[in-house]
Amino acid sequence: MYDVCIVGSGAGGAPVAYELSNAGFSVVVLEKGKYYKEEDFSKDELAISRRDMYSPKLEDEYHIIKERTQDGSIEVYDGREYSWSFWNGSMVGGSSNLMSGYFYRLKPNDFRLKSTYGEIKGANVVDWPISYEELEPFYTKVEDVIGVSGEVKAHSFLEPRSTSKFPYTALQENGVTKWFDKACNELKFESIPIPRAILPIDALKRGACSYSNFCGSYPCATGAKGSSRAALLQKCKAKIITEAFVYQLISDKSKITQVKYFDSSGKSHTIKAKIFILAAQPIETSRLLLNSKNSFFPNGLANNNNQVGKNLIFSAGGTGKGRFYFENLSKNEQETLMQRGLFFNRSLQQWYEFEAEGKKYKGGTIDFLFEHSNIISRAMREIYDDKGNITWGRDLERKIKKTLTTSRVLTFEVFNDWLPTNECFVSVDESKKDKYGVNVGVINLYGHPHDLKVGEFLAKKATEVLEKMGAKEISMSISSSPPPNLVAGGCRFGENPKTSVLDKNCKSHELENLYITDASFMPTGGSVPYTWTIYANSFRVAKHLLGVMMEA
Amino acid sequence: MIELKNYAISRRLLLKSGFLTIALSIFSRGELFAEVVPLETIALLQEDLFPLAKELESRSDLYMLIILSHSKIAKKDKKFIRNGVKWLNEEALSEYKKIYTKLSSKQRQSLLQKISKERWGEHFIYTILQYTLESLLGDPIYGINKNQKGWEWLEHKSGYPRPKSAFL
Ligand SMILES: Cc1cc2nc3c(=O)[nH]c(=O)nc-3n(C[C@H](O)[C@H](O)[C@H](O)COP(=O)(O)OP(=O)(O)OC[C@H]3O[C@@H](n4cnc5c(N)ncnc54)[C@H](O)[C@@H]3O)c2cc1C
Ligand code: SF4
Repeated sequence: MYDVCIVGSGAGGAPVAYELSNAGFSVVVLEKGKYYKEEDFSKDELAISRRDMYSPKLEDEYHIIKERTQDGSIEVYDGREYSWSFWNGSMVGGSSNLMSGYFYRLKPNDFRLKSTYGEIKGANVVDWPISYEELEPFYTKVEDVIGVSGEVKAHSFLEPRSTSKFPYTALQENGVTKWFDKACNELKFESIPIPRAILPIDALKRGACSYSNFCGSYPCATGAKGSSRAALLQKCKAKIITEAFVYQLISDKSKITQVKYFDSSGKSHTIKAKIFILAAQPIETSRLLLNSKNSFFPNGLANNNNQVGKNLIFSAGGTGKGRFYFENLSKNEQETLMQRGLFFNRSLQQWYEFEAEGKKYKGGTIDFLFEHSNIISRAMREIYDDKGNITWGRDLERKIKKTLTTSRVLTFEVFNDWLPTNECFVSVDESKKDKYGVNVGVINLYGHPHDLKVGEFLAKKATEVLEKMGAKEISMSISSSPPPNLVAGGCRFGENPKTSVLDKNCKSHELENLYITDASFMPTGGSVPYTWTIYANSFRVAKHLLGVMMEA
Repeated sequence: MIELKNYAISRRLLLKSGFLTIALSIFSRGELFAEVVPLETIALLQEDLFPLAKELESRSDLYMLIILSHSKIAKKDKKFIRNGVKWLNEEALSEYKKIYTKLSSKQRQSLLQKISKERWGEHFIYTILQYTLESLLGDPIYGINKNQKGWEWLEHKSGYPRPKSAFL
């Protein structure tokens, strides 16, 4: 019998494994993927980006997606047929291996959205049961333990900090950031350097960033990126069982007694522990609870109030871009533009809150970054001409050569709140099974129209900067299509068991030894990518658990 | 998932992958008209769609064998490639009474124009272009992109570390 059993080894699960095993408790982590380490990693675009090496094959494991359109009709997609994947990284460390590490804290008002900005019709906006001040020490802890680099710069929405600096100085930047800063100056926009979960120097027994030019979507071969594997799991004694797909939790009326998993040969195993932590990413966490129903919990574990899977959220917003052509630049500027490897690291948060028609609204964040270096994807983007016709032969060859060698694209990403609604949730389909014979998860999707309005407002501001910088072919695309890698909610925390699954310590209201520490707990997502918050909250829960276990 | 050290396209693989090397029967009005070897059709199609790939020795046609036996390519996608070859030859037959590899370059281009207006045809052209670009610009560990000529063409610097084995 272990003290603690954790399902999922990513950003949500690893901080608990690290803290409790370092305190001397016996901890086991069950991870569905394999254990890859620094020496296994490469920048093989074919394997990683084109063949999704770190995700399950959709033929074997898939989702049913039910998308609710604005007119209320529902379109059903079988993930296999539409190649629509919600997998992000099945490996020790989960998708935190593959993240770009753009790191943001939430702001104090993100913890009290309802009381600050009021209700929005059709959305289940609530305040969090904890405040920013309660999470702040753990944000700081993440800076030290995971390793966050950057420069603290004052701006309209800088969140309160208990320290004046990041523990690591900013990474080296591409010269084009100067063009960006200048444009922002002229527009009176506040350009902010983005903190990154990346080490600029050898530290924490990990290597420095080598500016490999292939960061997002690729695992890090130096250890610089703050994945939960490099930063936490490789530094603690927690036992990790790999290729262990957890398919069921067994409980009595008040406690989980064991979990069941299949190994790679399909054989079933059982693990017993005193405390169970789920951190399989929100969609899988809810699916596992719904698939574990028993006589005490006929609707699924911890689901006697029908809250499991509800209020699923993503990061709303979208993307946009502009292109810089050699013909408009001096020789020096051309060289600066084409500098490889160095980071862009700039964002705007000036409209994290904005006013329209005399009312205050929650806005969001805009990140700027160069188009991904993946050469095959960039070449493939040229296959269609401006009119949408497919091209080939010498024409296509010339087009690819010219575009890729004499221009470069600066992109932006808009992050704003994906409002929680009754229509966006996780369920399971008992008639559809994955390769393990387990009911597949159903992702019921709906984007509140308000999200699009805010996203468009922000995207327009981003295009102003690109225009000022002299970019051409500026475009933007704001939509309610969900980014699969930025997903939260499904088991929100709160005071009231009727409207939430977890209490403020992320313990299930209905079961005394079940905790959830991935992003499922978040009732609202803030207007930033939220891995820093996942890490911080997991450290917070770990501290609570230490107290509970010491007492026991 | 199979991972071979220093994998290169070998004769063994060629023999193993019957999928593209075993003849496909093309019928016209219910009668057997011709037998085509799918890989021959694809090789010529790749030259028609992206001539540079052959000039730079990307070994695009042999790369298709990797794709057809790849653990992460869905069965439906593999089937589509084989069907595409069949449909392309059937179109060639109905337009010119010859299979694709027997057409003149001009005829082939006008046939491609024609099928590009149809859904399957556009998707087929896109699919073959995609894999051709993969062979031109993927890591040479797969036995493609010889001497990194594809990367050189686009002044591309690969990311490091490079893969030590192919992911199949
Ligand atoms: C390409 C990419 C770029 C990103 N960039 C950023 C960024 O710049 N900034 C940012 O803040 N965030 C970013 N993210 C998001 C970030 O990676 C996630 O927010 C974070 O990793 C989520 O933590 P998690 O623990 O919930 O999930 P994960 O880290 O994915 O871990 C979940 C783990 O659970 C395992 N698992 C799932 N089901 C089971 C099961 N049934 N049994 C056993 N194990 C199971 C999975 O295999 C996985 O390893 C990015 C993600 C991706 C994919
Ligand atoms: S070395 Fe630097 S750029 Fe490369 S993956 Fe690691 S953190 Fe990212």
